[in-house]
Amino acid sequence: MTTSLRRFAPLFALALLLVVPFLATDSYTRHLFIIAFIYAIVAANWNLSLGYCGVFNFGHLTFFGVGVYTAAIAAKTFGITPWLAIPLGGITAAGAAFLIAAPVARLKGIYVVLVTFAVSQLAMQLVLSQSQITGGGEGMVRIPYLQLGDYSFIRDFKFGYYYVALGLLVLSTLFLRFVVQSPFGKALLAVRDAQDYSTARGISVSRQRILVLVLSAIFTGIAGGFYAIYLRVASPEVFGFGTMSLVLSMVLLGGVGTLYGPIAAALALTFLTEALAGIQGFEEARFIVVAVVMVLILRLAPGGLVSLLDRLRPSRPAS
Amino acid sequence: MNSIVATLVSGILLGSLYALMASGLSVVWTTLGVFNFAHGALMMIGAYAAWTVSEGMGLGLLPGILAGVAVAALCGIVIEYLLIRPFYGTRHMLLVTVMTTLAALIILEKGAQLIWGAKLKQLPRLVTGDVSIFGATISWHEAIIILLAPIVLLLLWRFTAMTNRGRSLRAVGQNQDSAALIGIDVPYAFAIAFGLAAALAGLTGALLGSIRFITPVMGSEPLVKAMIVVIFGGLGSLGATAGAAYVIGLLEAFLILWLGLYWTPFALFLLMIAVLIFRPNGLFGRA
Amino acid sequence: MTALLSVDGISAGYGAITVLRDLTLHVGRDESIGLFGPNGHGKTTLLRTISGLLRASAGRIRFDGADISRQRPAAIVNAGLVHSPQANTMFGDMAIAETLELAAFAPRARAGAKQRMEQVLALFPRLAERRKQLARTLSGGERQMLSIGCALMCDPRLLMLDEPTLGLSPRLKEELAEAVGAIARSGVPLIVVEQDVEFLLALTQRLYMIEHGAVAREIDRSDGLDHREVMQLYFGQGGEA
Repeated sequence: MTTSLRRFAPLFALALLLVVPFLATDSYTRHLFIIAFIYAIVAANWNLSLGYCGVFNFGHLTFFGVGVYTAAIAAKTFGITPWLAIPLGGITAAGAAFLIAAPVARLKGIYVVLVTFAVSQLAMQLVLSQSQITGGGEGMVRIPYLQLGDYSFIRDFKFGYYYVALGLLVLSTLFLRFVVQSPFGKALLAVRDAQDYSTARGISVSRQRILVLVLSAIFTGIAGGFYAIYLRVASPEVFGFGTMSLVLSMVLLGGVGTLYGPIAAALALTFLTEALAGIQGFEEARFIVVAVVMVLILRLAPGGLVSLLDRLRPSRPAS
Repeated sequence: MNSIVATLVSGILLGSLYALMASGLSVVWTTLGVFNFAHGALMMIGAYAAWTVSEGMGLGLLPGILAGVAVAALCGIVIEYLLIRPFYGTRHMLLVTVMTTLAALIILEKGAQLIWGAKLKQLPRLVTGDVSIFGATISWHEAIIILLAPIVLLLLWRFTAMTNRGRSLRAVGQNQDSAALIGIDVPYAFAIAFGLAAALAGLTGALLGSIRFITPVMGSEPLVKAMIVVIFGGLGSLGATAGAAYVIGLLEAFLILWLGLYWTPFALFLLMIAVLIFRPNGLFGRA
Repeated sequence: MTALLSVDGISAGYGAITVLRDLTLHVGRDESIGLFGPNGHGKTTLLRTISGLLRASAGRIRFDGADISRQRPAAIVNAGLVHSPQANTMFGDMAIAETLELAAFAPRARAGAKQRMEQVLALFPRLAERRKQLARTLSGGERQMLSIGCALMCDPRLLMLDEPTLGLSPRLKEELAEAVGAIARSGVPLIVVEQDVEFLLALTQRLYMIEHGAVAREIDRSDGLDHREVMQLYFGQGGEA
């Protein structure tokens, strides 16, 4: 009973999400879902490197930002159709991940944190300094939007965007499921939980880490591309502490090393922070709330984090 | 010729600031094994506290600087107590404390924005006027920073190397049980290390508040630079960290001269990657 | 007169694992005791609990009449109850002289620290020769000497030594055994954990055999047991564990 419930819960949730646009006809509610789907993709993919592989990657939002700016520049500056600009973000993000991963794979402990984090900050500085290309601190605005023949995605109260975002989330989740359940994914867990295993099996940990970072960047970059096209804005804020802590708290709340946890957490936290933003004077303070939530999760419910980092039995169904 | 001297001087100034910042990171790292992401935010708090006492209350700059140091130290001790201590000795402490200090950074930055608003603020200078060093002109305030930094670093080094209280911090960092068994109160040592590092950050912020604008995010750029410094110098030794700070400061100044302001962060970063490929524990660091 | 140290029905362990179960023993004034018994039965855990590194889940520990079971290690050291742990690696990046100076950290240990330093260096000439050397460059035996030297710098009123000769060459072992004997003769009461019962018998008046986290047997030498009988006890009862 419980196992079948677990197996069908994601499908049930998907069915619910498929009918949401018919129940919620206002574009604001749909907008929140779209944003939550985007964050869900970013959080779940971050979990692949942080949770499943144990890489202390704190530059995951770099991949997202690369996707954002790739799509923005491709669509606006080069006039490439947004339908292509979005997946292009995934390609450049994967490329960026490869460049970063090569040196990071050999580092240990805190140095991984420092370098990946410094990368995201430098990416932001690069965006700020190359203002002829990126718009600098002002960012880029009026990026071309999605169109399908004569159908324009900006005049349907976000009906079309909702399904594109949900489709991306489903694709990303299927992709992550495939990675995690593949022999490669099993080896990831084995190496994370027992360092000696890699030596015994002759697994190259650095090659594994490079591959994980690249894989985790693909859908993150695509999500970034979609984010730019959907909002029609690209701003350097995506590299900032605020976005990062929000997504990090989703990973933590959902449980590090789970497939669906971060997705559920992304939905919950997006609606929570939006609700807070609605309160007078809470536009900035909501980030304080997110930070406090993050600490409280770590203190009171470390099971999500610690137990799963410690040991995630491969036989246990991902929940 | 003149531009070379000017670049040297501005490089030494940058190096002084980075050394003050990075030495605090190093003290916390060697004592607790924690990398404090809120270090830059503590610097910012120091600057705002100094501004409130000096300008807001009109009590003058020196009391302001003292207040900046004190308030930052207090914040540091509170962060240690609330966000580090509960996780001490847990298996994923390194990772967890990265996250909790990130949370502290968010809380301090957004909190400062709520308290002091988004309007730019600036402190007056310790001494007005300029000074000429071999033909390069800088303000007296900057000259004081250049002179003060090595003195502070020397005092810090003397403290950790020559006094039993300072040695106790190193002892705790190297072997907590052995330290406890010779009568060192480990939690107290943690609080001292964190408070001391935060005080250094507060001092840096209060000094910087006279030559840059005080904003809620003023700490993030120096923090990233201090991170590059500790990646170069390793986190383990105060001497290597301070040395790396001056190297990075000078390098940055000359890169700005040759490549311009825009490409310098990028070049600095590529250099850092190159160093890490050949020396994964930093240029001067050891395993 | 009350005992110098009394351990009264303590239980302690690590997480869900209980190591000590209702253990009771005492050390009188001006006496030394020895602890022996099979490995993994709680001798080290007992010393860690007494010195405050571990907190007892039940029971009480009194030192010189004062309850110390809830105190921090630093306070316990400052009361004069000092523990030199097993295979202590000390502070790898600190020089010997610096470490010994630091070890007089507790307020009660500050007076007369210089004098005690000379005594320690006289007791362990090897340390005197290597004053400037970093602890991580020392051999196992030298580190053991440093650890005991540090404990002495704390000016102990009761000194707990956990296997001071573990894993040492016969020559070094003899050197350390002599030093421990000298400490005992200087009037510092000891609690010594050792596998080598002969060594304990030469040093202490009473022995406790620790098994399964409790005192399995108390041996008072005034009862007239000789070495052979003690050895028989040890190997006869605890040998198969």
